[in-house]
Amino acid sequence: MSVEEEQYGFLRANALTLAFGGLFVATLVGQAISGTADFNAQQVVNGLEPVSLLEYVTSSSFGVDVMENWQSEYLQFFLYIFATVWLVQRGSSESKELGQEGTETDEEQKIGRHADDDSPGWARTGGWRTAVFSRSLGMLMGALFLLTWAASSVAGWAAFNSEQLGERQDPVSWLGYLGEADFWNRSFQNWQSEMLAVGSMAVFSIYLRQRGSPESKLVGAGHHDTGQTG
Amino acid sequence: MSGVRIVFFAYLFVVLLGIVYVSALGLMGR
Repeated sequence: MSVEEEQYGFLRANALTLAFGGLFVATLVGQAISGTADFNAQQVVNGLEPVSLLEYVTSSSFGVDVMENWQSEYLQFFLYIFATVWLVQRGSSESKELGQEGTETDEEQKIGRHADDDSPGWARTGGWRTAVFSRSLGMLMGALFLLTWAASSVAGWAAFNSEQLGERQDPVSWLGYLGEADFWNRSFQNWQSEMLAVGSMAVFSIYLRQRGSPESKLVGAGHHDTGQTG
Repeated sequence: MSGVRIVFFAYLFVVLLGIVYVSALGLMGR
């Protein structure tokens, strides 16, 4: 940590995550308000009583709409983290340099006896601890994907069944819901947008720049330069 | 606990809380 960094207070030192945390809360409130209005418009069409904001945010209809988006984001990061270990894109700021495909050597990764003074303990110890720590980011993203997808299936199941009952149709079991088009339509419509977004980020960063952003190459970097962030 | 560590665990807590909350809504059939 440099002298300059030590003078950073809590807010400045965590500005990126705090800003996005605040935006997350604000947009979630936006979803709750607009979702209530949308839900109530449908209730009126069906000749049912409108619900309050509190009733809506404690309903599985709201729950599944939140969770189906979360699962696709974690799937995106899980896939991207693993794919970028093995696959490169010439010229992309998101890619490693060509020839660096794979998990790299212990020396390059500062593992075991190659660890330096700042290295985390689990990078130095070897054995299962280093094996787990070496995959911890991808494992967390993968676990969060599976958990959020499972949560979206449970909430989607309850929301689907309340619609079924409203239409005087038989409710389905949870396993039955996993075979319903509703579940797969919700999943695929979120997944497709994540795959497009990830591919776009990788490919557009080849020829385009954003001065000062670590997501971009240096403005003056060559189009064929790969894996050099600004 | 350092500020960075607080932010790390706050994110993890919010995500896990969201998963538990939405799962509970579904399991209660709300």
